[in-house]
Amino acid sequence: MLQISNIDVYYGDIQALWDVSLRIGDGEIVAVLGSNGAGKSTVMKSISGLLKVRAGHIDFGNIRLDGLPAHHIVELGISMVPEGRRIFPQMSVLENLEVGASTNAARKTRQNTLEWIYEFFTPLKLRAKQKAGTLSGGEQQMLAIGRALMSVPKVLLIDEMSLGLSPIVVQELSGVIQGINKLRKLAVLLVEQDIELALSMASRGYIMENGRIVDQGDAKLMLCNPRIKETYLGIGAEEKAG
Amino acid sequence: MLPDWKRLLVIGLLVLAFMAAPMVIEIGTGSLNLLIMVFIFVILSQSWNIIGGYTGQINLGLAAFFGCGVLVTHFVWKAEMPIYLAVIAGGLSAVVLAGIIGLPTLRLKGAYFAIGTFALAEVCRIVVGNIFERMIEMPGSYAASYSLIPRYYLGLTVAFAAIAVTYFITRSKLGLGMVAVRDSEQAAQVTGVNSFKYKVYALLISAFLAGLGGGVYAFMRLSFHYVTAVFSPIWTFEPLMAAVIGGSGTLIGPVIGSIFLVVLSEIFALTLGEAHLIIFGLLFILVVMYFPYGLVGSVSRIRQIISRVGRGLCETGENCRKGF
Amino acid sequence: MEFVLQTIANGLLAGALYGLVALGLGLLMGVMKFLNIAHGTFIILGGYLSFWLFNLWGIDPFLSIPLVMIAMFLIGLVFYRLALSPLLKLPDVGMRIDTSMLITFGLIWVLDNAMTMLWTPNVRTILTSYTGETFRFFGARFSFTGLCGVGIAVLVGLALYSVLSRTYFGKHLRAATQDAEAASLCGVNVQRVYLISTGIAIALAGVAGAVIVSSYSISASGGIGWLLIAFVVMVLAGEGNINAIIPAGLVYGLLEAGSVLIFGVPYRQAIALLVFVLVLMFKPQGLFAKRE
Repeated sequence: MLQISNIDVYYGDIQALWDVSLRIGDGEIVAVLGSNGAGKSTVMKSISGLLKVRAGHIDFGNIRLDGLPAHHIVELGISMVPEGRRIFPQMSVLENLEVGASTNAARKTRQNTLEWIYEFFTPLKLRAKQKAGTLSGGEQQMLAIGRALMSVPKVLLIDEMSLGLSPIVVQELSGVIQGINKLRKLAVLLVEQDIELALSMASRGYIMENGRIVDQGDAKLMLCNPRIKETYLGIGAEEKAG
Repeated sequence: MLPDWKRLLVIGLLVLAFMAAPMVIEIGTGSLNLLIMVFIFVILSQSWNIIGGYTGQINLGLAAFFGCGVLVTHFVWKAEMPIYLAVIAGGLSAVVLAGIIGLPTLRLKGAYFAIGTFALAEVCRIVVGNIFERMIEMPGSYAASYSLIPRYYLGLTVAFAAIAVTYFITRSKLGLGMVAVRDSEQAAQVTGVNSFKYKVYALLISAFLAGLGGGVYAFMRLSFHYVTAVFSPIWTFEPLMAAVIGGSGTLIGPVIGSIFLVVLSEIFALTLGEAHLIIFGLLFILVVMYFPYGLVGSVSRIRQIISRVGRGLCETGENCRKGF
Repeated sequence: MEFVLQTIANGLLAGALYGLVALGLGLLMGVMKFLNIAHGTFIILGGYLSFWLFNLWGIDPFLSIPLVMIAMFLIGLVFYRLALSPLLKLPDVGMRIDTSMLITFGLIWVLDNAMTMLWTPNVRTILTSYTGETFRFFGARFSFTGLCGVGIAVLVGLALYSVLSRTYFGKHLRAATQDAEAASLCGVNVQRVYLISTGIAIALAGVAGAVIVSSYSISASGGIGWLLIAFVVMVLAGEGNINAIIPAGLVYGLLEAGSVLIFGVPYRQAIALLVFVLVLMFKPQGLFAKRE
C-alpha cells in the first residue's frame, strides 16, 4: 500500500538517507529500528512531507506522495505521531483532538471518531476540558496518538512512542495500538529505539544504520536472530537469557 | 581584503582629499550642504550600527539621542562656549540620556527593546515640544558670520571619528562581546557572555556618536522652528535605513548606505518628487529580504561566488545568512 | 466635578478606540509572531478608503465599514504573500519577529509616501450630518460618533474572540502558532491559515481607520502615532492575549484621562507612555495575564 523506493534525503547540504526502500502492506505493523541518528525519523518525515525527497519516490496506492505538502498527505490518509508528542499545550485536550480532525473527510465523522478514541483512551475523555500541557507524559502520548487518529488515517506513523515513558505505560499504549490495528485494519509504521518492543508488535522489521537500510525481515525471526540481539539488544538480551 | 598598511594609506589619502577639497576647488553651497548631510548620516548610521548592527539590539530611539545632542549643543554654544566644546557637551548629554533610557529598556528582549526605545523617544519628543513652544535660534551675530566651511570640517572630523571608533571597537574585546551577544541571542542560546554589560557599553557609545551628530546639525542650522522636528522618528528611521541598505554589522556599509541615501534622495527629489521615498522603501524591503548584509555584503558575496567558481571549491561560511 | 466626569468619559471613548486599533497588531504579533510596524499606516489607509467612499459616493462612514474591510482584507492577502510568507522559512521565531519588523518598517516608507502623493499631506476628516451630536449621561457628554466607535470596538472584539475560540479556523490558527509543524501533520494548511489571518488583521486595521476618520481625523503620516498606541495596548493586554485587548484599550484610555486630570493636557500621552514602559519592564506578561 505504502511503498518507498530508493529515496535520498538531505538536511540542507548534508545527506541523511541513501537509497532507502521500504514497504508497508494493508493493515500491517512494520518497525524501523536502529540506533540514534541512523535516519529512522528522517524516513518518517520524508513520508509525511516535512522533508523533501531528492531522489527516488514514495507512492501511496497510485498517488505519488513526495513533493506534496504535509497537510495534503494527511488528507490522503497518512497520519504521523511526531517524536516528542508535540501536542498543543495551550489548548484543551478536546481542542487538540478537534484540530486532529482538520481534513474535510475527518470533520464529517468527527463525533464518531471521537467516541471510539475515547473508548481506547479513557483518560482523554475524563480530561477533555483540561489544558493539554497539564497532562502527564503518558497521557500526552495518548493525546498525540488520538490526535493523529482523528484524521481517520489508513496508515499511522509513530515516531519514538516509548521515549521517556514508564514500561507500564508503554505496555498499555502498545496494547491499544495493536488493538486498533486489528479492529480498524490500520497499518502502522513504528520507529523505535526499544527494539524488543517494536519487534514484538510488528510483523516485519527494517534495520537502519547511517542512513541506509542494512537488514530486513520477519519480526519474529529477527527477534531470535543472535546477531541482531547482540548488536541492538545488548544487555537487555543477556538479562532475558539469564 | 587589502593588507593593513595599504588600507591605512587609502584612508589617509581619502581624509587628505576631503580636507583639501574645499581649499583646492570651489564647492557650491548646495554641494557643501549635501556633503555635510552625508557626514551627519554617516555619524548617525554608524551610531545605529554599533547597537543595532553589531550588538543586534534594534534601537528605535536614536532620534532622542540626536535631538538631545542638537538642543544641548545649541544652548551651550549660545552660552558663548567654543563650538567644539558645545558639540562634545551634546554628545555627553546624549550619553546621560542613554543611561536614563537604556538601563531600563536594555533589560527588554528583542522586539520589546525596539518598542520600549521607540516609546521613550516619543516621550522625549512630547516633553520637549511642551517645553519649547516657540522657535529657538542663535543670536543674529552668529548668522552674520555664517559660513559652511567650518561646518564641513566639523562634520568631516566627527564622521571620520565615528568610523574610527567603530573600527577600533570591532577589533577590541568589547566588539567581540557585542557580536557574541547578537549571535547568541539570535541562536537563543545561553552563553557565558555578560550580555547586559556589552549592551550598555554599545548603547552608550552609540548615543555619544548620535549626540555628536546632533551637535554638527546644531552647528549647521542656527534656528529651529519646531524643536520637536529634531526628535522626529525620521532621525531614527533614515539612519537605520542607510545602515541596513549599506550593510549593518559592517564597517563601511553604513558609510556607503549614507552616501547612497543622501545623494540619491537629492537627485531623485528633483526628478521624482515624493516618489523617490517609495523607491527607497521598496529597496530597503528587498535588501532586508534578500541581502541581509546589505550592499557591502552582496558585493563580497558575489565576489565569493566568482572565486568559488574560479577555484572550483565550495566554501561555506562567513557570508552565509546568520543562523542558517 | 463636571470636568472630571467629562475627562473620564473621553478616556472611555478613546480607550475603546485604542483597543480596536490594537486588535490587528495583536493578532499578527501575539498569534502569528509577525511584528507589523506598518500597522498604523494600514489604519490610515483604511481611513482614507472610508474618506474616499464618503466623498465620492456619499456612503456613510459607518455603513461603508464592510466595504473597507473587504478591500483591506484583500490588501492583507497581498501583504502576506509578498512580505510575510517568505519569513516562515527563517529558523526561529525571534528572527521572524525582527525581520518582519524591518520589512514592515520599509513598508511604512512606501505606503506613507504613496498616500501623501495620492491624497496630499492634508489632514482629512469626515463630516456627516450627525458629526458633533452629543448625548448626556451623568453630566458628561458623549459624542454620537464616539459611541458608535465604542459599539464597533466591542462588536469587533467579540467577533474576533468567538472566531478564535469557537471556529475550526480559530483552532487551526492557535494550533499553528503553538507548533506549525505539528499542525501541518494534523492536516492544517498552515500557509492558508496565516494568509487568511493576515487578511483579517489588516481588515481590523481598516475598521479602526474608518472609525478614526469619522470621529477624529487622519493624515498620511499619522500612522506612527497610532502604531505606538497599538503597541502599548498590546503590551498591556499581554502578548497573545487577544481577549484582553479591548479591556486593555480602556485601561490605557483611562490612564490618559488620569494624567490629564493630574498633569494637564500637554503631558497626556507622555505620562501614559511612561506607565507603559514601566509595565513593559516590571510586568512584561501584561496586566491581564492569567495566572496558571
